[in-house]
Amino acid sequence: MLNLAVEQSDSVLSADELAKREGLRARKPYVAEKLANIHAMEGRGEISPIIRLEKSYLCNFQCTHCSAEYYMDRHMEKVLHVKDERKKIDLDDIRKLSKEADELGLARFVITGGEPLVMRDLDEVVAAIDPEKHYVILDTNGWFLDDEKAKHLKEIGVEKIQLSLDSFIEEDHDNFRNKKGSYKRVMRAIDAALDAGLNLILSTVLVKGRAKTEEFLEMCQYCTDKNVGLYVSYAKPTGSCTEHPEFVIEKEDADVLRQLEKDYNVFTHMTPSYGSHKGCITVKGIITVTSTGEVTPCPYIDFSIGNLFETSLKEVLDRGMRNPWLGPHRPDCLIGEDPKFIKIHTEKTAGATHLPLPWGEGFSDNDSLTD
Amino acid sequence: MPETSPLFDEFGRCLPTGINAPAHQKTRRYFLIDKPDINYSASYERLNQAFSISDAISQEQYESRVTSILAEIADNKLMKPILNGAMAPFILPKAVYDDIGQAMESTFLPAVQSAFNSFFPDYDFKNHSPRSLNGQLSVAPGSRHQQVLDQMANEVVVGVYFPCLSEYSVPAAIERMATLPEQFSLAGGFDTSAAFVSMPDLLFRKEGYPPLLWLSGLVSTEQNVAYHFEAYGYDLTFNRRVHLGQVAEYWSSGLVMIG
Repeated sequence: MLNLAVEQSDSVLSADELAKREGLRARKPYVAEKLANIHAMEGRGEISPIIRLEKSYLCNFQCTHCSAEYYMDRHMEKVLHVKDERKKIDLDDIRKLSKEADELGLARFVITGGEPLVMRDLDEVVAAIDPEKHYVILDTNGWFLDDEKAKHLKEIGVEKIQLSLDSFIEEDHDNFRNKKGSYKRVMRAIDAALDAGLNLILSTVLVKGRAKTEEFLEMCQYCTDKNVGLYVSYAKPTGSCTEHPEFVIEKEDADVLRQLEKDYNVFTHMTPSYGSHKGCITVKGIITVTSTGEVTPCPYIDFSIGNLFETSLKEVLDRGMRNPWLGPHRPDCLIGEDPKFIKIHTEKTAGATHLPLPWGEGFSDNDSLTD
Repeated sequence: MPETSPLFDEFGRCLPTGINAPAHQKTRRYFLIDKPDINYSASYERLNQAFSISDAISQEQYESRVTSILAEIADNKLMKPILNGAMAPFILPKAVYDDIGQAMESTFLPAVQSAFNSFFPDYDFKNHSPRSLNGQLSVAPGSRHQQVLDQMANEVVVGVYFPCLSEYSVPAAIERMATLPEQFSLAGGFDTSAAFVSMPDLLFRKEGYPPLLWLSGLVSTEQNVAYHFEAYGYDLTFNRRVHLGQVAEYWSSGLVMIG
């Protein structure tokens, strides 16, 4: 028997989404129940953020807009000439995080990086998260995602793939990714993921002006025809993109995209979804756990709201929700659109060698919108 | 006890003086409503289309009564700065509704939708509220919103909507009413809807984001839940949200003055 929360949340689902959720309910009833409960949690004003887990920053790509580049050993050692001596999370830490998250009703993990498919211990990481307790999603550039790998990921409990495609023009994608042949590998990975029965969304970065291009509309159409969601991430002035301020969008770009959502299977992190109208999802809808146990409120904000080696996940989330930049409801992207916050972030992170800035150096309990 | 200290700042924001519920004392003015010009002719046409009020009030009478309201405000040193902010005149039909929520669904939200669609044929108004409003809404105690409904019962109402309680929690907006001049009431569902019929572009901004507008004069049967209008890009939406009595830079409520 379904509980009321399930019935209410399912009442606004598309037939395709409903079928996916029914399938999950049959295979992983505990996970399905938690996912269904998110609707009721949000209805009570509670939060259920997705946890992005960055255990490793190893990557076979070096993308022009990468938000994680400054966290990578290759950048710290070759560019900054520093070594990262900070304590790193291990599988036991992930098990502890999984348990804490489960106790809070959180239901979703994204394994990201870096490129997860170059992690030697990826299977162990998935197991440590526990796919019977959490919905496991994997971010990938698709280079290594062939039929065999896709089937393996499904077997070990991964449910969904987020595959990066930054242009529907092969040459542009390869240039953006600085990797010739990467577009063809993405196309191969799309079929591999779908054939393996994995849920799939494509993710793409929106740079200024792109929303109005023919190329972008073609990508929207392709995803709609393929019945695959296109997740659009605004280019933010952080990471490698710090050197490309011309990429940062204006409100018009975001508004054009909002109009496209009506006609295409395209969405951003702020798109209303199945009755959820969160706006900016910092803490409320997403957190990132870095390789050093720091929790950031968004993949693109390099300020920590706490370290899991020192502070419980619950306290870190409460701290984030108390912060005037992060907790309150807002319709725009804090790090992608708010000039004052972008300035604060840019100034505080300038010259920093070890990101994210710890709690107290970036965010603190003394933060104010008006100071 | 009515105040004698300034009520509004130079931009028309109602100052959050002497309240205990959460409200931002200072604002960086990030979520804003551009002050639109009032086109009485177009406003009246839309209001008449929605509420069929032409037999009761002419455009000239509408404009005259709004002008009187604005003049009364301008004559009061404490109230005058509210005129520096955004405002929308409106007309409400003579009517009595037993169920505010039902009337919102059957009359007022469709009127907003029709006006918005006529004004912006390429954009949409959408009611995202996941459940029926029937029986869900009543007048919030302390909001003075009953004044508007009482006058509606007797005659066609002319008023002006001021979205000036920016960065107030819903409880703070209600609390603030205790010390504002008695001419003001907290906006609810009918008056706010009529303001959008009058000026469908009230929350339309291309260069920045406008605030969300709570219907703080109404209380929901669900605890800590209130209803609101909100822009989504170029579209306009109506929805419910849990507010938990908290404040957000993005949240505003509106005052109404009728005359």
